[in-house]
Amino acid sequence: MGTLETKSRILRDAGYNYNFDRMIYFNRKAKKIFSVEFILDSDDEKLEKCLTEEKDGGKWHFYFIHGDPSDAVKHEIESVLE
Amino acid sequence: MAERTIEDRLREEYFELLPDIRRVVEHLEAKIKYCVLPISRKLDKHEQIVVKSRIKECDSALDALRRHQEGGTFDRTYPDRYSLTDLKDLAGVRVLTFPRSRWIEIDMELRQRFIDWESDPVLSYDKIDTLAFKYYGYCEEASKKVRGELQIVSMLIGLYWEVEHAAIYKPTPRLRGIADSLEMKQRDNDVHTALRAFEDEFEKQIRNQNR
Repeated sequence: MGTLETKSRILRDAGYNYNFDRMIYFNRKAKKIFSVEFILDSDDEKLEKCLTEEKDGGKWHFYFIHGDPSDAVKHEIESVLE
Repeated sequence: MAERTIEDRLREEYFELLPDIRRVVEHLEAKIKYCVLPISRKLDKHEQIVVKSRIKECDSALDALRRHQEGGTFDRTYPDRYSLTDLKDLAGVRVLTFPRSRWIEIDMELRQRFIDWESDPVLSYDKIDTLAFKYYGYCEEASKKVRGELQIVSMLIGLYWEVEHAAIYKPTPRLRGIADSLEMKQRDNDVHTALRAFEDEFEKQIRNQNR
């Protein structure tokens, strides 16, 4: 599971910020969004793998435990961040 | 005319449910006070049992339901998916106990009185320590729609939660998400550990005195 401090450091080192209104960690440059639930559910290794995996940089990528959210949810979260 | 939002629908639902919420809280508080009376009567001077009830306010309920969704966002393509009756804590009663040994005793007493209620203890992040005993269920005499929440927690941790709520989240519910950040969870964990150590030491001192 990893400790909170370790996960927090991993995310901070990778340049992620926390949005408390949506309870997500995000990085505008990497265009990746992680829900708190996903982070807590993942071990450190899985988290680091998701942080470093290459993605198409044009659109935001969501890491949620319940899978990819709907377009409506994505759109609302993206509009909060942009 | 502007289309009704999910939030509009939920506000309407809240005020439809409010009489039920009030009945559940009153019923639950009275039942719990009655159940703990035999223990309250035999407390030592330094010991305390306090029963408190609260009704979740409308904005707080809406925000809680939104935060229950991953990503803190309602899916607006499915407006009928959401109901405040999914919240388990619209009507809540909290039993605060000091010292910690009374906490176990109260839980054992109440657990048998609410045998068919779902147990959902509040655990520390590492899932090793129980911070509070928590049960959900229906008071059939009061409502078949709204569940009641019963929480049994040590006095110091319960009061810390109250102060945190009153100082930060009650005036500005949208700040509630701050508590879900990994950094705040860690600090929260530190406070719980310190308060537990304080309670344990206090009880040890009392025991040593009585030897």
